[in-house]
Order: sequence, then structure tokens, then C-alpha cells
Amino acid sequence: MSYTRETDHGTPPAISTGRSVTLTIDGDTVTMPEGTSIMRAASLTGCSIPKLCATDNVESFGSCRLCLVEVEGRNGYPASCTTPIAEGMVVRTQSERLKQLRRGVMELYISDHPLDCLTCPANGDCELQEQAGAVGLRDVRYGYDGATNMGQAKDRSNPYFDFDPSKCIVCSRCVRACDEVQGTFALTIEGRGFDSRVSPSQGRDFLSSECVSCGACVQACPTATLTEKKVVEIGTPDRAVVTTCAYCGVGCTFRAEMRGEELVRMVPWKDGKANHGHSCVKGRFAWGYAQHRDRILKPMIRASVDEPWREVSWEEAIAHTASEFRRIQAKYGTRSIGGITSSRCTNEETFLVQKLIRQGFGNNNVDTCARVCHSPTGYGLKTTFGTSAGTQDFDSVMQADVILVIGANPTDGHPVFASRMKKRLRQGAKLIVIDPRRIDLVKSPHVEASHHLPLRPGTNVAMLTALAHVIVTEKLYDEAFIRDRCDWDEFAEWADFVSEPQRSPEAVEPLTGVKATEVRAAARLYATGGNGAIYYGLGVTEHSQGSSTVMAIANLAMATGNIGREGVGVNPLRGQNNVQGACDMGSFPHEFSGYRHVSDDAVRGQFEQAWGVTLDAEPGLRIPNMLDAATDGTFKGIFIQGEDILQSDPNTHHVAAGLAAMECVVVQDLFLNETANYAHVFLPGSTFLEKDGTFTNAERRIQRVRRVMAPLNGHADWQIVQLVAQAMGLGWSYAHPSEIMDEIAALTPTFAGVHYDRLDAEGSLQWPANDAAPDGTPTMHIGGFVRGRGKFVVTDYVPTDEKTGPRFPLLLTTGRILSQYNVGAQTRRTANAAWHPEDRLEIHPNDAENRGISDGDWVSLKSRAGETSLRALITERVAPGVVYTTFHHPDTQANVITTDYSDWATNCPEYKVTAVQVMRSNGPSDWQRDYAEQARHSRRIAPLEAAE
Amino acid sequence: MKRVYVSRDMASVALGADEVAHAFEAAGCEVVRTGSRGLFSIEPLVEVESEGKRIGFGPVGPADIAAVLDGSHEARLGDVAALPFFAGQQRFTFARCGVIDPLSLKDYAEHGGWRGLETARGMTPQAVVDAVKASGLRGRGGAGFPTGIKWQTVLDAVSDAKFIVCNADEGDSGTFADRMLVEGDPFCLIEGMAIAGHAVGASHGYIYIRSEYPFAIAAMREAIQLSAERTAPFTLEVRVGAGAYVCGEETALLESIEGKRGQVRAKPPLPALAGLFGRPTVINNLLSLAAVPFILAEGAKAYADVGFGRSRGTIPVQLAGNVKHGGLYEIGFGITLGELVNDIGGGTASGRPVRAVQVGGPLGAYFPPSMFDLPFDYEAFAQAGGLIGHAGITVFDDSVDMAHMARFAMEFCAVESCGKCTPCRIGSTRGVEVMDRIIAARDSATVVQAGRNWEGYLQKALNSRTPDRIDTGLEAQTALLRDLCDTMKHGSLCALGGFTPYPVLSALDHFPEDFGAKSPVKEAAE
Amino acid sequence: MSDENEVMSTEDRLIYMANQIARNVAALGEAEAVAMTADHIRAFWDPAMKQRIALLAAARPGALSPIAAAAVGRVVAL
Repeated sequence: MSYTRETDHGTPPAISTGRSVTLTIDGDTVTMPEGTSIMRAASLTGCSIPKLCATDNVESFGSCRLCLVEVEGRNGYPASCTTPIAEGMVVRTQSERLKQLRRGVMELYISDHPLDCLTCPANGDCELQEQAGAVGLRDVRYGYDGATNMGQAKDRSNPYFDFDPSKCIVCSRCVRACDEVQGTFALTIEGRGFDSRVSPSQGRDFLSSECVSCGACVQACPTATLTEKKVVEIGTPDRAVVTTCAYCGVGCTFRAEMRGEELVRMVPWKDGKANHGHSCVKGRFAWGYAQHRDRILKPMIRASVDEPWREVSWEEAIAHTASEFRRIQAKYGTRSIGGITSSRCTNEETFLVQKLIRQGFGNNNVDTCARVCHSPTGYGLKTTFGTSAGTQDFDSVMQADVILVIGANPTDGHPVFASRMKKRLRQGAKLIVIDPRRIDLVKSPHVEASHHLPLRPGTNVAMLTALAHVIVTEKLYDEAFIRDRCDWDEFAEWADFVSEPQRSPEAVEPLTGVKATEVRAAARLYATGGNGAIYYGLGVTEHSQGSSTVMAIANLAMATGNIGREGVGVNPLRGQNNVQGACDMGSFPHEFSGYRHVSDDAVRGQFEQAWGVTLDAEPGLRIPNMLDAATDGTFKGIFIQGEDILQSDPNTHHVAAGLAAMECVVVQDLFLNETANYAHVFLPGSTFLEKDGTFTNAERRIQRVRRVMAPLNGHADWQIVQLVAQAMGLGWSYAHPSEIMDEIAALTPTFAGVHYDRLDAEGSLQWPANDAAPDGTPTMHIGGFVRGRGKFVVTDYVPTDEKTGPRFPLLLTTGRILSQYNVGAQTRRTANAAWHPEDRLEIHPNDAENRGISDGDWVSLKSRAGETSLRALITERVAPGVVYTTFHHPDTQANVITTDYSDWATNCPEYKVTAVQVMRSNGPSDWQRDYAEQARHSRRIAPLEAAE
Repeated sequence: MKRVYVSRDMASVALGADEVAHAFEAAGCEVVRTGSRGLFSIEPLVEVESEGKRIGFGPVGPADIAAVLDGSHEARLGDVAALPFFAGQQRFTFARCGVIDPLSLKDYAEHGGWRGLETARGMTPQAVVDAVKASGLRGRGGAGFPTGIKWQTVLDAVSDAKFIVCNADEGDSGTFADRMLVEGDPFCLIEGMAIAGHAVGASHGYIYIRSEYPFAIAAMREAIQLSAERTAPFTLEVRVGAGAYVCGEETALLESIEGKRGQVRAKPPLPALAGLFGRPTVINNLLSLAAVPFILAEGAKAYADVGFGRSRGTIPVQLAGNVKHGGLYEIGFGITLGELVNDIGGGTASGRPVRAVQVGGPLGAYFPPSMFDLPFDYEAFAQAGGLIGHAGITVFDDSVDMAHMARFAMEFCAVESCGKCTPCRIGSTRGVEVMDRIIAARDSATVVQAGRNWEGYLQKALNSRTPDRIDTGLEAQTALLRDLCDTMKHGSLCALGGFTPYPVLSALDHFPEDFGAKSPVKEAAE
Repeated sequence: MSDENEVMSTEDRLIYMANQIARNVAALGEAEAVAMTADHIRAFWDPAMKQRIALLAAARPGALSPIAAAAVGRVVAL
């Protein structure tokens, strides 16, 4: 793909009215949707009108006055960006008169612009430069001794981009992008007239302003005013490759813009169906980890974890791995080893790892990190609807009238989707937030929740049942929908259950801590406010009732008829980039790809036939069970691809003990992660920039990952798995990931229509994509549920056993923040650290005062599982009795604190509820100091000998 | 006890009306504070009631009480309405101004108030809109767009809410009609807005008054309270502007009411379809809304019978600047500029010859006496390269330097520009600079020659930013000024930038000698 | 469980898991709850875990709730 800029039609598409308009533009008769601007209509017919303030991801503004046109029968020269087309209109976009006017405007622009094009970072990629050429400006007769806005100091505070006000043409594109696209409202125009200037948050610098570094302003800037530091440093790109972001489950599409083999910048792709040209600070800027010096590029082995690592050749590492696994199986049995697939790797890689385990290891001991995040989603939605996935595409939110966010913090966790949601909220949709914390969505510029229900952690089921109680007892349910689409008797049984007085909002108020009147009002709003859409995250799943909560959500949606069309639905916001894909690909110990149980003889038969082996019909071990078995001595070897269970899984001591008990721990990762401290073989991994494949995002959208540069470690991850498989005697010979996808498609009915050539041609496909749904499935359960009839499941509220008491009086809940990602392995190795250099403990002022804690003090955080220390952040975002922290930094190790309680159905850990005590302390705990020392010891590397 | 009438108008107060009123009170008189009659050369004006008639005296000082009360004061004017300045007027809108106590509901009703609203409420909204159409009323803010058609658009729009917005952000220099009416007869505006509300289905209105009018703001607020029962269910509130001239532009005004930065919106969408808070909105100049009660009370025909060509009804002309009889003169369209300036205004206050008049505020064109036969009419003014605007006329005598006036117009635009569109934001500042070069070139004995004679092209190219590249000669700069005016006039987003060329070009065209031209510029009219 | 409890052993944990499943489906009524619990263990537990819970049920009478005990009996009986 060569470097070509994307076409900018100047103004967004018209909101469809279903009508079209025929007009004449420069003599050509064209028909366009009603409401289209003259500018867009002209652009779509291939005739470009000069423009500077117009760009098609924000509303027209009409300030630059370059796009003036002539319209027959109308006085003056209307701006084509703000003038909609009309029937019979005759437009001229080029004339001597227009040329004169445009040149006059451009002459004014250039009279206040530095003419340092040759040394300007935007040279060759500057709209002002381009438009000056387009209008034929040859002289600036005003001279250069008049007033100017040049010579102002640059703002270099942001780690990723510079702001050079001297080059600003005050088109407000950045301001409008911040408002309309991102919804942060961090930028403004200060001053009036000639002194009008772009300013972040009233005169602050970018870094200390409210700016969230999403990059929308940089993207919108037509000049070098806002420029990526990398462009300043390297120069403008000369080629681009379209690929998919490897951060969260939104799955933004980016153009990786390259100069030779060097990545210059990641620019959100306008045609990306998940992000529509928007991005966040992680995907847009935080990709420097891919070239970080911490990356391990050579394979390493060691006999014991006390020894330093020894760099070895790929051949030796692979042969050693295979022989160790075979040795262990020979000694301890077929089921004594297993593996973990990575939600950060591609579908193809994940499929290969589970295939290696099922076909090569001969057991079903495969699990994935979804175990610790969205496994309850899989269980809950499969049970109620019949499919383990969200029901909508992201665009659906634009049709929602009432948005219910529960246990999710989209502005931090899924920022690009959150921006779209906020856009819809600004258009007037109502918002209900159910969350113990006052997350940003509760109140932010131009967005305010109608109801925030700040429930006590662990009471989701009681809360959702109370909402159901109101809907049923006040007869707000959709009887026609239920009779048509669900089993009425099951509904009636469920309705009786939720109607019982002890489940009313009033009855559970002491439990949830939320006023019954608010709960009732929220229930009425959701049930009667039009299209109701539910979005949820790990605040739903990571509980001992995670699966019940997911089913309770599904019940609500079915009862109100909010399923099976655009604007409604049940939408899990997936954590990692490919957690949906990893689950789809058969990463769970009980399921083949496409969520089919291993005990299903017909399905197993297909795989046996394709893979030429007999497959185990019994479910394998889940991650916590693997660790239990390891502690007990029956599980001895594990292959972990792209997953840091020591940091991300609960009860770190238990994880460490399990790993320490194994004889061969193989870790494949970019960095020596925490888990690698217990590893015997380290296989360097490749980043998403270095391989081909596909990711599947939270809306079931399968998108291509394309190789942008050669793998620094020599092999893409799928190739490494193939090498291990070959060494174990499996005759794999995939030449390209597309061949793996062909195998997936052949073996997985929901993927039957997925092929690389289609993905390349169409950009993406949402599964199911097969003969029944040839174009994929943006919205699921239209007309009927996948399982047939929707199933109402009675969800009893069974309180967690994790309870506060005198020793541990506070409830700890955990989450993440915008700038960091998961365990931080990637983001900590970028300049994102500027925003979040450490995990802090959020604590309510009352609780802090009781303990004599001041803001910034070191505090010890102790549960029955363990103890750690971190610094306090006093805030009313958390309620009294609740404390909160993130888990991005290994030196904090929040998971030392979390317990071994987990979801009853899936063993998804109960991260969100831990009884703790908080005390003032003097600094890091003993454990943290010991751990830091052990980690240092464990990471020693002896370089590869002579061989090289 | 003797009843005397003294104006409470801000202009009268500035001339000492308060002191005069206090003196009459101290002398045991019943003092009724009215609005201003509108002729400033007789302010402070006192009218003494005697045998059911009002005898005027003015100007009057606090020391003159006794002489006024005994009728011996030399400034005795007799029946004020019979003075030539007033006798020739056709006061449709300002009939009560200066006559009644502006905050007396009783006075208002006794002088024909509320009849228009009563009539309107007896009619269908469509019939009211039809009446306004038939009256020929056009927007008095300057654009002259037919008011009835605007109302029709709002009436036809479907929405959960609609608004009436009155633009009383009277920022043009030399204009004061809005302020006079609000201070002198606020119920008239209220009645007009209530009629508009009925006509288009709006239940709430905003009156946007500039902060420089504290008397008007106070009077308006009190009048709204006093008449709330009368106008219910239609409600009103006052919004005070923050001092930006551009907020007189209707879309910037809407932004300002919404609490945003006063910046012009691109049209479409028309405010009539998506105005205040995105709802269909009637936004009219105060004088348009205040004309409506007469139209409904007396009938559209009575209004339309007065006027000239397509400009129907009356226009409250404001005479200001260097003029002998400054004030408000309401008259049917068609009167000539010369009649207004010379016959009614009485020529300059300085006694020197009139050299130029500017019509329509700081963005209006300058006219020389040679064009004084121009009739007051939207079309005639447009044809002559000018605009009526808010009907302010500022008179200048022969000491005026028209190049400085052109520079002032550019400077005014630069100061007041909201900064949104390029022609206005940068153009006005460049315009000041170009004018400075023209004035400097004009004033210097020798004409500055363009460019030193550099050896070779390369030197020039290497120094593309040197001043020598710029031709600062009179001819080149005048041509540049014309080009700039062309860019601003046709390229600007709103009337601020778009109208600034009017004073500049009219000065250049009609007074080329002030721009250093040796002989009048040909093809000046273009 | 009180806040005095420390981390569970593997055996305690298996018992806890079985009881937890039973508790969460108990609202369905005993018969359905036993069936559901049995189905769940059958579908999601590895063979060694199933075997071990059966041994534990025998070795520690009363450790499993009636529903869980009945369910475990049913899984192993198969």
C-alpha cells in the first residue's frame, strides 16, 4: 500500500431522510441524499472545492471562507460547506470570480503565517500549503511588517505532540474535534478577532490541561500547529499499512504510517468500522514499547529459576521445549501439562495454541485470560441468548435512547467507544450508571447521568433484580416481545421470583446502599424511555456472582424487549484486543472453536478427522485449577503465550506457588514479565506490528492485522507455535496465517464465510458470517434468538463470602485508567507513564481522616490473602467504606491482595470485592522489597556464547 | 398641586433631567417621569400640565423652576407636539414615547396599549402572520427581510418549543431608538413580542439588551414583571449582553443567550428553523417587534399606506453626530437624506458645511451632499452602495478626514471581530495597516517608490520576506484596499466583516482626494 | 466465612466450588438444582477434579451441601 492521504469530503454524511436531491455541479447532473452539503456532493462527484476549516468528521463551521461557490439565482457566494444541496440547484465551483475571492482569503492567511515550509515538519503534508497552491496564490501584498501571531512559544509539554501556535490558522478544527469527536471539551479559542488563539483548558499547557491525548486535535490540524513529535523527529511518512490496534476490545483500525522500515505514526483510519477515524492515547501514541530496549529478542532457557537465563538459538529453545513437555507427559501422564492462549495475539495464533494443546498435548488443558475477565459473559449470554457475545455493533449506540452502563468505565477502558456514546448522550439520550464509583460518565462536560446508582461492591444481582422487580410489578415489561420471542412460562416463573417483596428496591436498599426511589426511577426510565441499551464491563463479571449478573442483565433486556434490533441490546465491553477472538477460537478447556462442547461427538469427530488424532472428550483444567493441580503435584508443565498470570491473576502468592511447583514453565512474551520469573524457557514474542493475522473486537468484528515491519525476534508468534508443534511431531506447515483462517473457517460454522480476501476487500466481517449470514451479523438475535427462544433464568442473589469485619472493614475494588493498559507491560514502556506513574489507592476523605491518612501518604493495604503498600489519593469518587486502585504496576501488585473467591459458574476471580484494611505506612512492604529483589535475581541473563 | 412631566431617558438624565425633576419635587410639584420625546436640543424638557394641556419648556435647568412654573421662562415651547420637529413626524411606534409614564399600565392602556394584542388573540396565528405580511413590515435591524415571511417559517416549523428573541443589542454608534423605546414605552415591545408569540406558537421570549444600557435593562425588567399577568401564558426575560458588538448579529446573539462565546454561526440552518437551543426562533430587531402592536391595532393597511416603493410603514430615523437638531424622527419611508439632514436636522451643529453623512451605523456608507436627494428606501440605498441599517444618520462637517474614517471602519471591525472567519479576523487588521500606508503615502511629500532595485532575481527570491518586495505606493495600496474590501464583502461570514467595506469604499469613492488621489477615481460607483 | 479465614487448600476449594454452584442454583428448587449442579460439574470440571470431589464427598460427610452432595453422586454414578 503506498502512502496516499485519505479523501476528506469536507462535511459528514447527511443524516438520512430517505430522500434524494438532484442538482447540477459544474455542468454535471448529480443525485445525492438530502441534507448533503454542496462541498460533500462536489467531492463525491470528484470535484474538489478548496477548503481549510472543513473536515468530514466534524460538523461544518464555515469559517475559512475558501470554499465559496456560485449558486445560480442566489446572491453572493455561499460557503459550500454550510450550504445544503437543493433540488434543481445549479452550482459552479470554479470561476474567475471565485478564484479571485479564494486567492484574496489565502493571501490573508499567508500574511500571518511563517514561510518556513522547507523546514516545517508538515512540509508536503500541509493543507494550507496545498490549498495555497490550489488557489494559485503567488504574492502576499500585505507585506510582513504588520501584526502577526507568529513567534509565540511552542508548547512541548505533551509527550507525543507539539503545539506551535505560530502556525495556527484558527480554523477551530482541533477545538471542534475535541468537542464533537472526543467529547472532552479541553480546547477553546481564547481572545477575539485577530488575537483569537487555540488554548487548552484556559491557558494551561497541554499536559496539565484536561486533554486526554486522544490525538483527535492532531489529526484534525491542517497545518503543523499540532504535530506528532515523531514526525518532527523522523519526517513525513512515505507509505502506510492499514492494521488493527492491539490495545482494548474496541478494535480501532489504524494506518501505520512508515518511512522505510521505521514507524512514524499511527493514524486512526476513517474507514475503520469500529472507530470511524477516532483513537485514544494508547492506540494513537503508545506503541513505542514495540521498539523498547526491554524487549527480549533471543530465546533463553535455564534449568532452574535460580539460575540466570542463558541465550540460546531458536533450534535449541524449541527442541528443549518439546523434549521437556514430552518428558513430563511420559513421567506424569498426558494431562500433566497444558497451556494458556493470549487475548493479545491473533485469532490464528490463539487457534494454533489450543490446537497444539488438543492435538499435540492430547488433552483439553487450555485456558485463556478471558477466564479472569469475561468468562461469565460467555456463560451467561450463551445460557440466555445462545451465543457468547455482545448483541450489537458499536454504531448501534447512536440509535439508543436510554443507555445503561453497569460496572464499566468506558471513558477510561474503552475511550473511543465512550466518545461515540458521549456523542449520543449529547444528542439527548438518557444515561443510567450503576457503579460504586463516580466514574467520569456520571458527570462530564455536556454529559450527565440521569441516575447514578452507587451500589456497594458485590450487590449487582440484588440491584438488577430490584430493577426487574419494578419493571414486573409496575407492568412495564413488553408482553408482546416476551410472548413472541421467549418462553412465557419461564418468564412467569422469573416474574414471580423477582416480584417477591424481599427483592423490591426498598427491601434491598440497606444491602445496596442505593435509595429505592432512584432505583425505581432508573427502572422506569430503562423500561419506557425508548431504545434501551446495556453496556457492561468487568464490574459485572469479576464477582462471585458474575455469571448471575450477566444473566440478570439478559433478563432485563428480554423483559423490556430491548434485544434484536439497532439501538438496544446487551453489550459486554471486552477488555483486551482479542479476548472475543480468543474465546471464539476454542481457548476454553470445555469448548472447541465456535463454543461447541468437547463432549459433542459430532463436533469432536470433525476435529479428529481434520487433525488426524483422537481428542479428549473430557473438559480440561481452568487456570486456577491448573495452579491447584500444580501445587498438588499433578500438573507439571505449561506453555503461556502472551499472558502474565503472576501479575494479572488473583492471589499472587497462590499463583507463584503453583508456578514454582512446575518443572517446565514456557513463557512467550515481548518482555521478561513477572510470570517469567518462574519460567524455564523464554520464547521472545512479536508485536502486532510484526505479523499478519486477525483480531476480533467486542462487536464480533473480525479485522485484519497486517505486518508493518519484520519481526525483531525473527519469527511471528504463529510461526513459533508451529515450530514447537513440529518439534513435538505434528506435521503443521502453514505458510501464512490466511491458511490458518481457512482451517478455522472450515471447522467453525460461525466463521464459515471468513476469508482473508473478503476481509481485505470489505475491511471487516462480524460473525456469524456464513451462508445464513453472508454479509456477517452486525446485530444478533433479530427475529429470533440463536438458542431459539430467549431463556429467562432465575438469578438468586447469593452474597459473596468475602465480607468486611473488624479486621478488614473496607471493600477494595479495582479497575484501570485511560493511559495504562492491563498489567502495564506495554504502556509502562511508553511515555504514557507521564499520566500514571504509579498505582494509587483512592479512599474517601472520611475513611482517610479516621486513619490519619493525608493525600499522597504511603499506606499499607491488607487482605486475608496478602499485603502491599502504595500511596493514597483522597477523593469523593469512591463512597465511604470503599477503596479503589488500579493494577497497572508490578511494584504495587494489587493482586497480592485479591482473594481466591471466584464466580460460581466460571471461576472468574472476584477482583472487584476484597475486604481490606488500610493503614498508614512508611513505604513499600517487606514483600514488595523481597519481590523486587527476587525479580532482579530472576531476570539475569547470560549472553549467548560464541555461536554468534 | 401642579403636575409636571420630565423625561427619565438616559440621554435626558445625562443633560440634567434628574436635577430638574428633583427641583420640581422640592417645589411641591407632582413629577411624572416619562420617556424622551426625542429632540435633544430641548432636553431637559419640562411639560407643565395646565387645564388638561401640557406646556413645554426646554432646555431647563434646576434654577429655572420658578420661571417655568409661572410661565415666564424664555424657553417656553408651548405644545411640544406642535413643534415643527414633531409635527412632521408619523409616530406609529413612538406615539407614546415621551408622553406617558413608561411603567404605568394605566397610562399604557389609556393610550391605546394592548389593543394590538387583544386583536391578535382574537385571530388565528395564521391570520396574525398574514396581517404582518400585508403590512409590508421589514426587518428594522438593517437587512430589511420581510418580517411576516420569517414568522411564517417559524409558524410552519414543527417543534416542542419555539422562541421569540428581541435583538436590542443596539451597538451602532449614533443609534438610540431601541434604548429610547425600552426606556420610554417598554410595554409596546412586550405587546409586540406577545403578539409574535401568539402568531408563531412560542411561549417564551428573550430580550437581549446591551450592558451599556442599565436604565433600559431596569425598565424592561420592571415592565415585564408589571405586565406578566397581561401577557400570560407568554413569558419574557431579559438577557444582558457582555459588550461584544458582534452579538448584535443574530446568530452570535443566540450563542450568547445560550451561554456560549459570542461567535457567529454559519447559516443555514436559519434561526427560524433551528435557532435558540436548536428550536425554531423568531429573532427580530426591537423596532420590528415594536411596530407590530400598531399593525394589529390599526390594521395592516394603515401601516402599509405609509411608505415608499417596497419599503412600507415608518422608520424611526436617528439623527446624530455634528447636527443641530439631533434626535429621533419617525417618518414614513421616502423622505430624502437631504430633508433629514438639512431641513429637520438643521445642518451641522458647528455651523460649517456638511461634508458627509454616514447612514446605518459604523458599517454604513458615507454619502456626500451631492447624493442628498436619495430617498429613504431599502432598495434605493442598496443601489447607491449603502444601507439603511438601523437608520442612524451621523453628520460630519468639512473638517472630517475621510481616509481616517475609512481607517476607523477597519479598526472598528478589527476590535469587534469575533475571530471566526478569516476575511474579518485577519482582513480588518490588514485593512488598518493598508490605510496607515495610504495615509502615510498621502501625507508624505514624495511618493514612495516600490522596491529598491536589487541586482538580480536571486537576491529577491532569497529575501522573499523583505519589505522591498512590497509595493507601498499609493496606487498599489489603494488597489490592495479595494481587493481586500472585495474579499471581506463577499467572503465574510456575517455582516460585521461583510459591511465594513461600505464605509471604506464609499469614503474612497466619494472622497478620493482624501486618499491622495489627484483626481476623482473613475468608475467610482462600482 | 469470616474475615479470619486464610487462603483455601485445593481440597477445601473443590468443596467450596461445588457448594457454591449448588447455592447459586438453589432458587430453582431442589430437583432442578441438583440436576443443574450435576450438569455444571460434568460440563466444566476436569476428570481428576470430578474424581477427587467424589472421594471428598465420601471422606468428609457433611462438607457438601445436600444439593451439592446429590449432584456429585450423580456425576460419579455416571
